[in-house]
Amino acid sequence: MAALNISGLSKHFGTTKAVDSATLEIEAGQFVGVIGRSGAGKSTLLRLINRLIDPTEGSVSFDGVDITKLKGKALRQWRRDCAMIFQQFNLVDRLDVITNVLIGRVAEHSILSSTAMRFSDAERAMAAKALDRLDMVPFALQRAGTLSGGQQQRVAIARALVQNPRIMLADEPIASLDPGNATRVMEALRTINEEDKLTVLVNLHTLDTAREYCGRIIAMRQGQVMFDGPAHELTDAVVRDIYGADGLEDFNEAVTSTSVKGQEPVAA
Amino acid sequence: MSIQHYEVARYKARHPHLFTEPLEVRVRRYAVWGGFIALFIYCLVAFDFSPTRIFIGVQRLGQVLSFMFPPYIWTSWGEFAPIVEGLLETLAIAFLGTVLGAVIAFPLSFLGAKNINRIPFIRHSTRRGYDIIRAFETLILALIFIRAFGLGPLPGILAMAVSEIGTFAKLFSEAIENTSEKPVDGVKASGGSRFQTIRFGVMPQVSPVIISILLYNFESNVRSGTILGIVGAGGIGFLLSDRIAAYKWDEAWSIIFLIIIMVYIIDWLSAKIRKQIIGEFGGTK
Repeated sequence: MAALNISGLSKHFGTTKAVDSATLEIEAGQFVGVIGRSGAGKSTLLRLINRLIDPTEGSVSFDGVDITKLKGKALRQWRRDCAMIFQQFNLVDRLDVITNVLIGRVAEHSILSSTAMRFSDAERAMAAKALDRLDMVPFALQRAGTLSGGQQQRVAIARALVQNPRIMLADEPIASLDPGNATRVMEALRTINEEDKLTVLVNLHTLDTAREYCGRIIAMRQGQVMFDGPAHELTDAVVRDIYGADGLEDFNEAVTSTSVKGQEPVAA
Repeated sequence: MSIQHYEVARYKARHPHLFTEPLEVRVRRYAVWGGFIALFIYCLVAFDFSPTRIFIGVQRLGQVLSFMFPPYIWTSWGEFAPIVEGLLETLAIAFLGTVLGAVIAFPLSFLGAKNINRIPFIRHSTRRGYDIIRAFETLILALIFIRAFGLGPLPGILAMAVSEIGTFAKLFSEAIENTSEKPVDGVKASGGSRFQTIRFGVMPQVSPVIISILLYNFESNVRSGTILGIVGAGGIGFLLSDRIAAYKWDEAWSIIFLIIIMVYIIDWLSAKIRKQIIGEFGGTK
């Protein structure tokens, strides 16, 4: 049974169709890469799934629950179940790392305990464990804004982990990172996928990363799903079609590549 | 990701600093809060802030408010003209004071900005200069200037301009310091001179902030300009204090209403202007 069911999903911004009747089924435990050029609707798709924005048409359901209809508390709980990490990390720069990670627990807290920023020992231990998995414990009391991009993204993953999510969305998580940090972040997502059995849905710009990590690749163009299949079926011709590279004489994947040859993968 | 009891204990033992703040931090926090609350209560007691006094005061306030009715209406132009003149004079004082202050403060603000003036001694002395100017309240400056320049709008304008120099120079130089270095590097890398990096890299970033500060301070000067007249530095305030002193409360209330209407119109206009010039500006980043 598919965990995530997207049917006829559309989002219009004025006359632009950012996502145009997308229909997808994503099995539990899959590692799915979404590719496509800038403006193809990848981010909008993820934001629709997390309900950061509401769809114009269509529906998204998870384990049989229609999440496009959720409101109030139920909506906040869905967002907790559906963790999200961002290209620009979206941490609160002025708060320390541990508090940033504990933000992953806010869906369980009332106004009163949030005002005092009070978290239980179990929650603090969870945050410490998540930071430990990403080798970030030594930075726990440092302000998030003082960390490097790669470190910030690992803090963001830790925040996502303490949400105890059922699915993990990542919106171009490595687009602002150097190749070494990009590899660490992708390995962390792979570990989460394999060890925690979480479904991972990640937007990527780099094709070789998508081929390396994603068992299944979805390609979007102008809001529509153009390709959906295993990585090896993503041929050069398909890629040209997706990126509209007809005019470019030698469209070269290596130009956007961020792979580091011979780099030891870092376990998360 | 779940957590077991033994894991909580283990993490607590290994990283206690992630669970509780150090004792000294907590003690300091309680001490600061305790001191703050004690000071607040002491002030209330010292100024005899008793409920009975408040209650009696509110009753008298109702009496003063009742003088509003029936509202006073000026019947002849000869009677109304000085009021209009006073209102316009207040506007003019605020306008001239704001513009004069801004013109002098603008160059000074660059001297006080860390990213422009790299010589700490000059920067710090300029900044202390702003602080000294700001220590003088406009009203006190007005009283001093009245003694020197005589009664009327001139001392009012000067008082406003001088106090705005301190405020504007501080706010402008903070705006300049909050600009991003990136466009500056871009201009520099294209072969721009020091002046050109400021003109093309810094100015476009600060000008919306400066315009916004100017408009806000003009509004606020229109409001505070009404007070200047009370000490004799021109404007509507003189007429207002005169009516109150003569117990003509009905006319005083009508003047107060006119002031409120004028301030409201200025606020509305400046919001329009701000939107027109700055558009959807989200602050310097």
